[in-house]
Amino acid sequence: MLTVLRGGHVVDPATKQDAIGDVWFKDGRIVAPPPGGKADKEIDVSGHVVMAGAIDIHSHIAGGNVNTARLLLPELHRAIRARRAGTPLSTAKWSTYETGRLYAQMGFTMVVEPAMAPHASLQTHLELNDVPIIDKGALTVLGNDDFLLRMLRKGEAESAINDYVAFTVGNTRSLGLKCINPGGCEAFKENLRVFGLDDEVPFYGLTSRQIFQALQKSTQAVGVHHPLHLHMNNLGIAGNIDTALDTIDAAQGLPLHLAHVQFYAYGKEGKNAFSSASARFAEKINANANVSVDVGQVMFSDTVTISSDVLKQFNSMPGGMPKKGAIFDGDANGGGVVPYAYKISNYYNAIQWAAGLELFLLINNPEQVYFTTDHPNGGPFTAYPDLFALLMSADLRAQTMARLPTEALEHTTLPSLKREYTLYEIAQMSRSGAAKLFGFTDRGQLGAGAVADIAVYKPGKDVAGMFRRAAYVYKDGELVVRNGEVTQYKRGKTLNIRPRYDNNITTRLDAYYDELYGLPRSIFDLPDAALPNHDVFAEVACRN
Amino acid sequence: MSKATLDGKPITLEDACREAARILGDATFPVVAGLGADAAGARSAILLAEQLRGAYDHLASKEILADLDVLRSFSMFTTTPNEARVRADALLFVGPGLSQLWPAMLERLAPGQPPRHGAQAGQQRRIFWIGPEANEAANIPATIIPAARDELPEMLAMLRARVGGRPVAGDAARQPAIDELAGVLKNAHFGVVVWSASSGIDPLAIEMLQAMVADLNVTTRCTGVPIGARSGAAGVTQTSGWMTGFPPRTGFGRGYPEHDPWRFEAKRLVDSGEADAALWISAYSGEAPPWSKGDVPLITLAPAGKEPGRGLYIEVGQPGVTHDCVEFAQEIGSFALRKATTPSSAPSVAQIIDAIATKLQGEVSC
Repeated sequence: MLTVLRGGHVVDPATKQDAIGDVWFKDGRIVAPPPGGKADKEIDVSGHVVMAGAIDIHSHIAGGNVNTARLLLPELHRAIRARRAGTPLSTAKWSTYETGRLYAQMGFTMVVEPAMAPHASLQTHLELNDVPIIDKGALTVLGNDDFLLRMLRKGEAESAINDYVAFTVGNTRSLGLKCINPGGCEAFKENLRVFGLDDEVPFYGLTSRQIFQALQKSTQAVGVHHPLHLHMNNLGIAGNIDTALDTIDAAQGLPLHLAHVQFYAYGKEGKNAFSSASARFAEKINANANVSVDVGQVMFSDTVTISSDVLKQFNSMPGGMPKKGAIFDGDANGGGVVPYAYKISNYYNAIQWAAGLELFLLINNPEQVYFTTDHPNGGPFTAYPDLFALLMSADLRAQTMARLPTEALEHTTLPSLKREYTLYEIAQMSRSGAAKLFGFTDRGQLGAGAVADIAVYKPGKDVAGMFRRAAYVYKDGELVVRNGEVTQYKRGKTLNIRPRYDNNITTRLDAYYDELYGLPRSIFDLPDAALPNHDVFAEVACRN
Repeated sequence: MSKATLDGKPITLEDACREAARILGDATFPVVAGLGADAAGARSAILLAEQLRGAYDHLASKEILADLDVLRSFSMFTTTPNEARVRADALLFVGPGLSQLWPAMLERLAPGQPPRHGAQAGQQRRIFWIGPEANEAANIPATIIPAARDELPEMLAMLRARVGGRPVAGDAARQPAIDELAGVLKNAHFGVVVWSASSGIDPLAIEMLQAMVADLNVTTRCTGVPIGARSGAAGVTQTSGWMTGFPPRTGFGRGYPEHDPWRFEAKRLVDSGEADAALWISAYSGEAPPWSKGDVPLITLAPAGKEPGRGLYIEVGQPGVTHDCVEFAQEIGSFALRKATTPSSAPSVAQIIDAIATKLQGEVSC
């Protein structure tokens, strides 16, 4: 069926559109306007904004640590309303089903879960499979695993490391690699409580710097589009701006994605010895085009921190609100889950909020900075509409700043920043840029041939409201949201890549698992038969 | 071909599914109970309970909730069996019957072998077992601290006090061993405690154990390996967690999930008459329902040979035995695909429940 969305304000950076126009689609794909063509279905979207479906590049929506958070905090997600027909469990708060519904309602059509442990990838994929409507992807976590650290310690050839990386990404059905406090989680098992960029992992003689550089190179070599996704050392610690700047230098000009950088934008100024260092950070990012970042914006709310940075999470336990948590020493990274409440009246939280917004406003290229809250670590993904509104209005920011502790405003440049994001820039950050970051050629845009994932918003005074409740959302050309409500479920795919490797690595790994763990390596495999449906995965191409 | 009976008389599978749909569809508040199933079975069962606006419970919820109550009211430190195997230089087993609850435990944790990682690599592990069953610890080099089941809380309290350097006025005979254990844990690089709520220790005792682990982590590393409960409990709990946000003992009477360990206990729901129909699932073992009320309209999904005397019975296969399944694998602390050991044509729980669900009249309006 040929459908046309007629007369909307089309905002599509990938095709450089920012004007009134029509969007045609057929059989789940965007098509060029047929000459003299007549649509089977014509929808008048005049007065609306039309964008491609948004892509969230970093949101913890699935996997063992996320599920531990659900079970840890029943009091934080009591459901309150019954669901609409045809959408089972869509109002079960924090459930995978609700996750799919809420993302779709905001016009999001793809989300990447950024921390999948290789030995628990099946659970992550089972959960992703139960997120309806949207497409999904995941990043596989390496960098605290004994096998890799042994290879590096022995100084093995890059080709061997590449084979291991390619095998692991392919076998866990992910879109690339993440590295979380490289070496730091292993060091925590050896009872280290702090771990910096140049600290050595006990018994391996390797620094964090060496580990991430090796993975960074390897990610490029095996043809993963997405640059190594790095969760740096010293998250959340006053003065950690130095770690962040040193890490960018350590990247040596190679592509690198830094995750939730707001949590590293801290200086030590002021009587609380805690200040925003975002201005320095943004300057560095602007000068290093090889680096992309997502912000991990703090939004004032009760939330829970979920991270595979076990060392950091352990150190956060005494400050938990409420005071409880889970600390899991996994086969490599593991994870920690600690509840937290960001309060507008709290000096430190106010600095965090301001530091995040400064990064957004001071980084020049919207395709270099992404809008995450590191869901749920800085706040829930449902706060994105509020975040977009803050980026688009200096007045709205000023209103919030008026409620912050005044001393906090002395240690951030935010009050001086008047920049306001345009809809085009929001679309660059959430659509075209996000697609580029993963090498998607047929998403995040409305060009002919792209997947017909389309979000239509009704602009109004309430910018957050506009983004919270899309007027129409199409997934693969099917209407799934009308007037801000999901009308039906459909099954999304989990996108994955299969980089090539020399099969010798599997023989080597088989022997390693057998010798060390006394287990067949295949117990960690992820065959299609393990998923409830046979159409779960969709493979996308590598770079080479 | 699957077998189905109604009050002992054979009926076709098709008729059985239709009858099951009628029983459940006619009920005001049905309970999906037992839930002894693999991940796919649990998923289908929870979706069915939601569709029916009923409740669901697992046959080992008491044990599931013993651990979860400690997590959600206190905290929990855990690790994988792999990490315990390669890293633990002190291993503490707590309670009787662990090696029956997890038959591969000693093979998997390999307590007799030295740890492989860290400063402790190559050194002999120190192993303690408080209150094992007779002979259970015979084949490992463990120091045994004898304790009856009901003495375990006191032993754990003594141990935590001694780890904290506080005096105790407990059992003088066992105090030297407790003191030694406290010293070993404090001096260990990576201590691991192994326990199971199924061995009969209650949430307070588990909290005592975990609080000691938390105390130890102030100066060194210590963590735990829990042994999950029977009939797929750990996997069902995880599946329930991502589907509804809650563990079993969750109801959908209001059209959305509410978790209440008292309100949605299947035994109480049936015996009180609040539930007016029950779907009992016990695919692993064919365990019988715990309630005493004999006249609740009942559908039983159980393996061959476990047919109850009354009600509707549909034979299902055993996960990982007669059909491939995904379940939580104790030996890795994560989900894994299990290949069938003796494949048969008996249907899975998911297949039967999906067949029942398609026969339900439309959707319950919200």
